[in-house]
Amino acid sequence: MSLKATIHGLWYAQLVIQVILAIVVIVRKSWRDLPAFSSYILFAASASLALYAIPGSHHSLTYFYAYWISEAGAIVLGLVIVREIFMKLFAPHLALRKLATLIFRVAIILLVAFGCAVMYAQAPGAQGVYKAVMIGEEAVRIVEVGLIMFLFLSSGAFGLHWRQGVFGIALGLGIFTSVELVALAVHLHIGNAAFAAFAIVRLAAFDVSLMVWLGYLLAPERITARAEMPKRAQLEQWNQAVMELISR
Amino acid sequence: MTITVLVVALALCAVVLFYMAVRSRRKQAGRSVRPVDLNAFRALMDRDDELFMKARLSRSKFFHLKRQRIRVVVRYVARIAANASAVLHVGEAARMDPTPEVAYAATQVMELAGHIRIQCLLAITKLVAEYMVPSLQLTPAMLVPKYLTLRENVKRLGALQTQHPAPLATAI
Repeated sequence: MSLKATIHGLWYAQLVIQVILAIVVIVRKSWRDLPAFSSYILFAASASLALYAIPGSHHSLTYFYAYWISEAGAIVLGLVIVREIFMKLFAPHLALRKLATLIFRVAIILLVAFGCAVMYAQAPGAQGVYKAVMIGEEAVRIVEVGLIMFLFLSSGAFGLHWRQGVFGIALGLGIFTSVELVALAVHLHIGNAAFAAFAIVRLAAFDVSLMVWLGYLLAPERITARAEMPKRAQLEQWNQAVMELISR
Repeated sequence: MTITVLVVALALCAVVLFYMAVRSRRKQAGRSVRPVDLNAFRALMDRDDELFMKARLSRSKFFHLKRQRIRVVVRYVARIAANASAVLHVGEAARMDPTPEVAYAATQVMELAGHIRIQCLLAITKLVAEYMVPSLQLTPAMLVPKYLTLRENVKRLGALQTQHPAPLATAI
């Protein structure tokens, strides 16, 4: 299979999965629970369909602007999704939310600083709009990947339980943005020689993310079974130990 | 080149983290509250005991023994942290209970469990510092009272659920 055929295959697969995902979001009315994620899915599906409908070559100016506008929209919505995940994750935990919010803000400042440093370091070599846009995208992806990492690290540190759908959204977004970041960094370093490889890796990563989202959205939420919960007798043992400790 | 390496390293760290998150989620699924021997835990944290050993043993022997004790204490703290996490998980469902008393008690228990998680993080940090520099004395003594309060609150929640049978009647 040629590179062009592979790219086309992955792109059509992406289009089909996006439409299926959009249907799932609409049927399940997911926007009531996950408005940012639902907006992202509907926006991405609409953008893909619009790009598909643009007549003429993929190298036309209309396609170029439409592509980068949809990219910008998707990146902004991606960041909004990260905030949505953060809110969902910490909403039931009042004690942890204050501390987590503080660390989250510090993480944003540090990541933005790192993103700016990356832009500054690569700016001298940036010639043309295309490369400048890619450097900007790389900086934003750094912030996005870093924040998703923060979500996973903080949930692990605080021992939080992820809801099935929210975990899937974070995982899918994390996979795509990480691979995208690697592809962007390598592409910016190597140049146009790796353009086809860059396109394939991006498309494949996004296809995988779409599949992850679809899988986690369709999978039923795991209900905590009674058998897994601690028994009353155990609680009595704890209480006795407490009394012994107090009376020591 | 350095920037590219840094960016790629960040992204690869993220991928490893996601893989670990998926694995730990699978492990977490079968996790439940496990008993903690608080007497043994407190004995291990006893400073008098430590001072006694420090006075009787050689410096190197004392450091070796203290590090061994810290390793065990870390296990206890990790278990308490895991139990607090399990309580957070169970409490999330109980928070949605139609009985207001049960929901309120669950919220309180979850808040305390959250505090314990933070305390555990602090305790582990302190223990790591003591492990590296055994002459330090930074025992997480504040952990036990919080854990005891959690037990009390969990018991109260259990009592409430007995009065108002709910899905979590046998829970915490």
